Parts: sequence; structure tokens; C-alpha cells
Amino acid sequence: MKERSQEPVLVVLQLSGGNDFMNTLIPYTSGDYYDARPTVAIPQEDVLPINDTLGFHPSAGPLKELYERNKMAIVQGIGYPNSNRSHFRAMDIWHTCEPHEVGTEGWVAKAVRELDPRSENVLTCVSLGKGLPRAVVSSGVPVTSVDNLEAYGVMTGIAEEERLEALEIFKHMYTPAVGAQAAMDYLGNTGLDVLKGTDMLKKAPAEYKSDVEYANNGIAKSLRDVARIHLADLGTRIFYTQHGGYDTHSRELLLHEQLMTELSGAVMDFYTDLEEHAAGDNVAILVFTEFGRRIRDNGSGTDHGSGGGAFIIGPRVKGGLYAEYPSVVPANWLNGEDLRHTIDFRGIYGTMLEQWMGVEAAPIVGGTFEQVHPFA
Amino acid sequence: MGENRLALTAHLMRRAGFGATREELETLAEREYAELVEDLVNPERFPPVDEDVLERYYGWLEGVQGKVWSGVWIYRMVNSQRPLEEKMALFWHHVFATGVSKSDHPPSSIQQIKMLRRLGLQDLRTILLELSRDPAMIFWLDNNENHAADPNENYGRELLELFSMGVGNYSETDIKMAARAFTGWTFEQPLGLYPCGFYPSRFTYREDDHDESEKTFLGESGKFDGADIIDIIVRQPATARFIARHLYNFFVADEAQVPAWGTVPPRDPEAIDTLVKAYMDTDGDMRSVMRTLLNSDFFKESQFQRVKSPVELVVGTLKLVDTNRFPDTNVMSYPTATMVMGQQLLNPPTVEGWHTGKEWIDGGTLNERVNFAVNLVADTSKPGVQAIMDRLEKDGGSLTPSEFVERCLDLTGPIEASEETRAALLRFAESGGDLDMTSSENGESTRERIVRMLQLIVASREYQFA
Amino acid sequence: MARPYAMLRAGFPYVKTVGMRRLTVNFPVDVAIGRNDALYILCRNEEGVMVRMLSQEDEDLGFFSSLGTGDGQLRWPVAIVSDGEGNFFISDEACHRISKFNAEGEFLGKWGEFGSEAGQLNAPAGMAFDSDENMYVADGLNHRVQKFAKDGEFLGQWGGFGTGNGEFNMPWGVAVDEFDDVYVADWRNDRVQKFDANGEFIFKFGSTGSSDGEFNRPAGLTLDSDGDIYVADSGNDRVQLFNQEGSFVQKFVGDATLSRSARAYMLSNPMFLRLRDMASIDMQKYFRRPRSVRVDDKGRMYVPDYGSFRVQIYQKDVERLEESQIAAPLKAPSLLTA
Repeated sequence: MKERSQEPVLVVLQLSGGNDFMNTLIPYTSGDYYDARPTVAIPQEDVLPINDTLGFHPSAGPLKELYERNKMAIVQGIGYPNSNRSHFRAMDIWHTCEPHEVGTEGWVAKAVRELDPRSENVLTCVSLGKGLPRAVVSSGVPVTSVDNLEAYGVMTGIAEEERLEALEIFKHMYTPAVGAQAAMDYLGNTGLDVLKGTDMLKKAPAEYKSDVEYANNGIAKSLRDVARIHLADLGTRIFYTQHGGYDTHSRELLLHEQLMTELSGAVMDFYTDLEEHAAGDNVAILVFTEFGRRIRDNGSGTDHGSGGGAFIIGPRVKGGLYAEYPSVVPANWLNGEDLRHTIDFRGIYGTMLEQWMGVEAAPIVGGTFEQVHPFA
Repeated sequence: MGENRLALTAHLMRRAGFGATREELETLAEREYAELVEDLVNPERFPPVDEDVLERYYGWLEGVQGKVWSGVWIYRMVNSQRPLEEKMALFWHHVFATGVSKSDHPPSSIQQIKMLRRLGLQDLRTILLELSRDPAMIFWLDNNENHAADPNENYGRELLELFSMGVGNYSETDIKMAARAFTGWTFEQPLGLYPCGFYPSRFTYREDDHDESEKTFLGESGKFDGADIIDIIVRQPATARFIARHLYNFFVADEAQVPAWGTVPPRDPEAIDTLVKAYMDTDGDMRSVMRTLLNSDFFKESQFQRVKSPVELVVGTLKLVDTNRFPDTNVMSYPTATMVMGQQLLNPPTVEGWHTGKEWIDGGTLNERVNFAVNLVADTSKPGVQAIMDRLEKDGGSLTPSEFVERCLDLTGPIEASEETRAALLRFAESGGDLDMTSSENGESTRERIVRMLQLIVASREYQFA
Repeated sequence: MARPYAMLRAGFPYVKTVGMRRLTVNFPVDVAIGRNDALYILCRNEEGVMVRMLSQEDEDLGFFSSLGTGDGQLRWPVAIVSDGEGNFFISDEACHRISKFNAEGEFLGKWGEFGSEAGQLNAPAGMAFDSDENMYVADGLNHRVQKFAKDGEFLGQWGGFGTGNGEFNMPWGVAVDEFDDVYVADWRNDRVQKFDANGEFIFKFGSTGSSDGEFNRPAGLTLDSDGDIYVADSGNDRVQLFNQEGSFVQKFVGDATLSRSARAYMLSNPMFLRLRDMASIDMQKYFRRPRSVRVDDKGRMYVPDYGSFRVQIYQKDVERLEESQIAAPLKAPSLLTA
């Protein structure tokens, strides 16, 4: 059997909506935390402590386990100056590394261009879920978008036995012809690329076997798809996944508990799955969100804030706490209401790009930023 | 009625509108082409979309989120009896690209599109003046931060670079002067989203924050206000040329992208000259310019020279299958469909707008485009699909494989297919032999073959072009 | 309770506002009053549907149902009414059915099928029970009123598309009084029509416009035990009150103040407080597109303020008069008013 590719692989996991970092890694001995959150605090006795001041959300047990196994780096207090509170704009900033101008190129796409400069593999970057996040979009960079791995490809609405014939005709219709105009040719090649991607991806579900049973939710499904594609060894270097629903303005305790359960379970299952297949050594996961939430609760949930946290997870990660936890003492609050970030997100992208993927970061993230050193 | 005439009518309706059903096309094609153009450029001749019914089913449209409103906009595109009015709104939305993502304030973006719909065929002066007073635009390009004592150039710069003249036709000083002229053009603070939902924003002019001083702009001097700047801008031949190129790219044939216009000459310089003349002769009256454009030979000869935008692909396919003629719950899925194809209405990626032409297409978006159309024509309960079946049945007898291909290409467009595409479709047609329309016994399998043929056609490269 | 002979109308003051956007209420289209006077607020928009339960003190008592077409879900709900046993019935004009829930929000059943035959529905809107708990339904796109037994068995119908007496154009609200007479908000005809229990036309009032007594798309309507008729005059952003003869009495345009939850919310948000301080708050008191109005047995009027994500509550204040307390009716108006 052919040896598996050992090139480093990055899995980006985006928590959409603004994860409440304060209720994910909780400063459970701080009176200020409990004062600011009369309604949505996690009671001290429920927190899963990792040291004398911080502990995980009670539903994030699997994350705590990864932390204790020394496989999870927690980047505390990640953000950027003048954090933007609009979901879309904030996400754009994270996607393009452009906090001032409106950027057009995604940071992942720029990395993909470095990894596969001649666009030789349509699967170098695979995005799971509907539509493409701006992070992976840049003109001329092929990215494969997989919403449903079983039904990936063109004309999947057509029943299997007849689809083969339809695909054959599609292939003929898209084969570039001599003398056709440039746009037609370009469309033809793109169509053939889609077919190629479809062909390659067919392998993934067919070959996959695992004892790990993922839960039935969106992020678990996406990470299972990542595992299946990764295990099929198709040359994918960056996977992009999203877990939505973090915009917890109301009924946060209930919602966030569910989110933490889904997230930590899915990450743990994915980790175990790769471990079981001895295919995890070249994989690192980066978990991020577009902003943290307001320090004070609003009587039911929390509103858009700043100062989120990120996780870097993988067998070759040196677990521990990185950067500083933002101060929860009211005198230190930003604008009297927000956590102050302690490290710039572009430095964390830089960490992953340079120290993990071996790609120069500065041109991609737009400058040099302080990095952390979580790789053994 | 000649084939060409039908094809030309279909072309006109695809470009000046969003397509039409076969039946509509045949009725329209009986009239003089120039008369059709007159109807299109005079939308007031026809009633507007019934707002009450929209509100009853989709809710109060001043207060909804952008995605809901976009769904209703797509409904309007399908149903409006004033197709060019809706198409002009979309055109100006491409040009004056304002993203709701920065403000998260949909009522302002909605107000802007309504303004573009209302004024889309007026003269450019009126349009630019209202644009400069539009709260969504003011916030998008920071004119609310443009103060007499502390000018912000963003709006002044983009007004010249992207909304009227194009780079290379003015100096950095002109930008500064324009910016100063627009100081004090801002909006009133609207009430916040919480706790009672959105409230509209409104333009306001702050005299105490306006720079009254003498300014020199494009060689003219005076104590200019924003309106004076617009007066000067709209008289410039460069403006006529810039707008002409935009119109050509949107209505006629794919051009290079805007940033390249300084260096890449127009695809058809004579066509641009014609449009420039129409503009200059009428002081920038868009109705006249559009009349000239739609009646021109270069327009008539430009069939299938543009890659459909996602919105055109989605709405055109909805028109083809003749669905969504009354509010239903499906319409909300269409803004998602255009988004995954790369065009989120109300939210163009940057002030440069969407990149068009072949830049609409990548592996992901092509997949979405093909699957969307393929799935829609599979539904034989859709009146448009039904109508195609009925017509083939009415032909009676049986169709040879090549007749089968030609009839279907005709009924879905007419679409001009390449030799390769025809050959590929013929392979499919031949695999089933003659299409027997007489025997009811084979009815089911005949219908399945027709559906499959329609699916293959809308999956083709040619179908991606308008 | 018999209707009073006449009334001294002292006033109809605003009492309070409950609910707020996002935390509790999202585009409220109708409200029903349940046990302990809890408000069952039906919320509908394209991105979410639910019934939110609030106490009179604006405490969040939870919610039920969700956007969808499955059992217990709602797609385009229009109205919510309760029966004598404290169950709730919700019409759905996308699914062409009526769903039934108990007071805890458990789904109990549904009935209705799409079509235009007798007993079939096409976009059912308003509903009301008569004294025998038979249900009248405004069958919107069939332009008629149908009568059903509580379990959905067809009992009768009248109407049809048109502008004549007894004809409708997309009827919306329905109400039934203690004599089992039926009132229908004839949405697109901008009028209210009254019928007896057999569908015989009795009278109508209202016409297109924005003056007192005129309508711009009347949506929900309701009656109180004095025979007063309340109409949500949606397109005019107001509620109008008519007496039992259909004469205009007064109108409500909204007087909202911040609800308890809204106050707490704003106090925890320094930025929102600043923006609010920069804005004029005048427009915040007005109704925006109210689609329904309801009253309870204590004379309280509830207006689900559709465009403003809240319910505004008013209190009727009248002295009910015997015939002996008031002069006999006059034949003509008089200037002798002193």
C-alpha cells in the first residue's frame, strides 16, 4: 500500500456568530465575572477547572480532556484593534486580514495559491458546507465546496444509474473546442475540473471505515467529511468548516450548552478517528470566532463584543495556555464594556502558516505580527 | 414569425429584463421590435407589482432582514410588468455597490434599492444627487465622517473613480475638493434595532459642518456644494464614456473589469461612441441612452455574449419553468441560491461591485448553477416544463433524435448551441431512438426523456450565457 | 353578560408594553390570552416562527413550535385562538391547515386540506368560535367563510370573490359575538361585513382611505362583551374602535414605553444607550402594521405591534348605562350642547 502523504494539513473550524469566550474558558474565581453576569454566568461548582483561575464550560469535557492530554493550545484574548461588531464585517476582517479597507482576497485562498501555485489539484482546499466563506475565495484559486459528500458533484439530482450517462454527456458538452471564445473555454475547463473533483471525492465515502460514531449535528457531520476526505489521501492541505449558532443574544445558557456539547464532541470524535487510522500526525485544527461577547449580560444572553479565544489542536501541538487572558476587572474594560484583546489574530494565522504549513505569513496576513509557539 | 425574430425578442427580454416564458415571447414577437423597446423604457405604462399582497405574505418589508427582502426582490424580478425598471435597479446596484454588511442596517440598503428602482431611468444628475443623499451610501463610504474641519475623502474619491468618471480623468486635488464639497452631507441617527426593530435613517444637511470655502474642481471655481460637484461631473465626456462602458458590460457583452478600463480599450469602441453621443445629446438621460442601446445593431448582434450573473441565472430559470407567480414559501430559497453562486443581493463584496463575466464562474459556483437549473426543470408540475411537454405532444407523431434536440433547444431559448454541444445532446437523443409522441403507453418514459433533455440543456455551457 | 343599553366612555388609557425584539418577540402577528392571563404571542417571519408565552409582568414563560411544515410546526401562521378547555388553535396559510396545541404547547393534532371544494382550504387566515364551539374560518384565497365543527368537520360556507354584499376579496379576520353573528375583515375590500350565523348579510362599514372609519387593509378584528368592534387597520398603522352599529368611536396609534425586558436590555448596553440618546424617540411609541387586536374579559385590549416586536396593552374604562340613565336618542345633531 502506498504510503500516506505526510504534508501538513490545516483544518480551520469557524464558530460563526461570535462565541462567548468568557463562558467557554471561564474565570471562575473572579467576582467581577459573576457581578457582570447575573443571568448567564456558569456557577463555580459546575466549571471544569484547569487551574486556579480558569475552567472549561461544563459541557466542554472533551476539550478539557484534550487540554489535559497536552494536545490543545488555548490562545487567550485574540482580536484586533477597534474590533468590529457587525457579524459580516467582522467575519470579513478575519477572512481577508483587512481591518481597514474592504479586502477582496481570502487568507486561506492566498495560502492555497502558495501551496499549489499551478492549481494542479482541485482538492488542495476543500470547504465544507453551503457556499464559500470569503476566506477561501480569490480569483483564480480553485476551491472545492462540498455541502454533502455523498451527493457531491454536478447533476446529483439525477438518479444514480442514469446519472452516469448524463455525466458522460456533460463531459462532452464541456470539452473545449478549437476556436471557441475564451470564456467558453474557461467554462469548459472549469466544468471538467468539477468532474475530476467529483471522481476523486467519490473514493472518500467508499473507502472509509471507522469505529468512531459521530453525533448527528452539523459540525460533527462536517468533521466526519473532513476525516473521510483526509483519509482518502487526495492531497487536500486545507479544510474549512463552520459551526453556526453562536449569536447568543437570548437564552444563552441553554443554547451555549448545546453548542459546547456539539463542538467538543465533534472535535474529540474527529481527533480519535484520525488517531485510530494513524493519520492525525500531520493534522492541526484551528478553532476561531469573529468576536467574543459583551462582558455584562443583557438579562437573557450577551451581545456582540470583542476579545475572543482560539484553540489549536493536534497530536503535534504543545498544549497549554498562550497569550494572556484579558482582564475582567471593570477598570480594564475596553470602552467600559468589552474584553481587551491581548494578541492579534493575524499573528495566530501567521503561527499556523509559518510554523505549521511552512508558508511565509507576511504577504498573506498583511504584515508581521506576534506569533505563539505551540508546536513541539 | 421568423426564428430570428423570436430569438431577438428572447434576447431583448433576457437583457432588458430577466427572460420570459415561451408564450409571452411569441406574443411579444408579433409586435415591432422598436415598440417593445418603447414599452421597456417607459415602465410607467404598466402597473407596478402588487405591494399589498407582498406585505400580506412576506411581512412588512421596511422592517425585514436583508435576505427576506432579497427574496421578495427576486419575486419582483420574476413578476414585474416593468422588467427594465427592475433590471436598471440591479444595474445601478452593480455600479453603486453598497454592502449591507458594514452597517447591518437593512432598512437603509432597502431604501437605496427602492431609490435606484424609482430613478433608474432618469438623468444621471438626479441619480447621483439622490445617491449622495442616501444614508446607506453615506455610511458605506464614510461621508458621515466627512467634516468641515476634518474631511474624509472616501466618498469624494469613489464618486469620481467608481460612480462617474473613472481613474485618470481627474487629479488628487479634484478628489479633495469634491470631498470638501460634500462635508455636512450626513444622516440623522436612527433609533437602534433593539428593542423595537429597525427604524429608517434619513438624510440631513448640517450647514454648520459644511466647508463653505472657495473650491476649484475640474478647472471650475466657486463655493461649491455637493450638488455643484455633481453638476460638473455629469457634463464631462469622461462620465458619459464611463457610464457607457458600464452599460455595455451589463447589457451588451462582457468587458474587462472596471479597474482595467484605464488601460484596456473597449471591446467595441464604436458602440461606446454611440452611447456617449446619446448621453451627451440628452444631458445624461438614461431613458434615452437605453433606448439607443436596445435599438442598436451592436445590441441586437450580441446574443449570448455575456455570462449570466447568478441573479439572471436564477430568475431566468424561474421564468423558464414559469413558477413563483404568486407569493409562496419557496421564494426565500432563491437569495441563498444566488449567494452560493457568488452574488448576495444587497451585499456586493466591495465598492467595486461584483466582478462579472467569466469571473462569476469557478468550480463551486458552476456546480451550484448547473444543479440549480437541472433540479428546477426536473419538476414536471412546473407550468413552464408542462408547457414544453404539451408543445412537443402537439407536434404529434414522432421526432427523430436530431429533431428532438433542435426542438428542445428552441423551446428553452431559443439557445444557440455549439456543434460539440449539439453532438453531445444528439448522443443522448439517439440512445433512445425516435421520440414517440403518439403512444400513451410510452408516455411516462417519453416525458422522462424530455425532462432529461431539458436537464442536459440547462447544464450546458451555452445556458450559462445570456 | 348582556350588552349595556349605552355607555359613558371615560377613556381607554394605555397601560404598558410587554416583550422586545430577539429576546422574546419577533414580528408578533396575533396574541391569545391563556391561563393566569398569560399572553400566547404568535410570531411569524420568514426566518423564524414560534408562540412566545409571556406573563402580564413581561416574564418569559418559554415558547413552542418552530418554522416548518411538520406536525407541530408552523410555516405561515396567521391567527391563534383558544377554546373553552384552554387549548390553542393556530391557522397556517402556507400549509392550509389548523393545528391544535395544549396550554403547555404540546401538539395535539391538525386538520385541513388544500383545495377549493366545500371544506377544503386555500390560505386560511382568521378563526373564531361560536357559542357551540364551532369554528368559523376566513378561507383567504377561496374568498369565503367556512364553518367547521371543532374537529374540522365541514358544516357550511358562504361568500365568493367580489365586492358585493356577502362577497370577499382575501378576507382575513373573523369574530363571532354572543348572538353568534359573524364579523369578517374583508381585507382587500377595505371593509368589515357582518352576517348572521347562516351567512345572511346584515351590514357593512368602512371604505378605502385613512380618515376615521376608513381602512387600508383591515386585518384582524375582535369584539368585546359590550358589542364594541376592534379592527387592526394594518396599512394605516392603527387600531380603530367601532360601536356595535359600526360607527367609529376612536382610534389608537400606539403609546409604547419600554417593556421590563427592554429596559433591562438597554441598561446593559452602553453603546445602545448612547445611540438612543442621539436619536429622537418620538416614533418609537407608534404601532407599525398591527395585524391583530384582542381583548380579554377584564376590558384589556392587546395589540400585537407587528413591526415593533412587542404587545401594547390598553384598559377600557366605561360606565355601563341602563336605559333610564340616558336621554332618548335624538333624531338630529344639535348645537345645544351646553
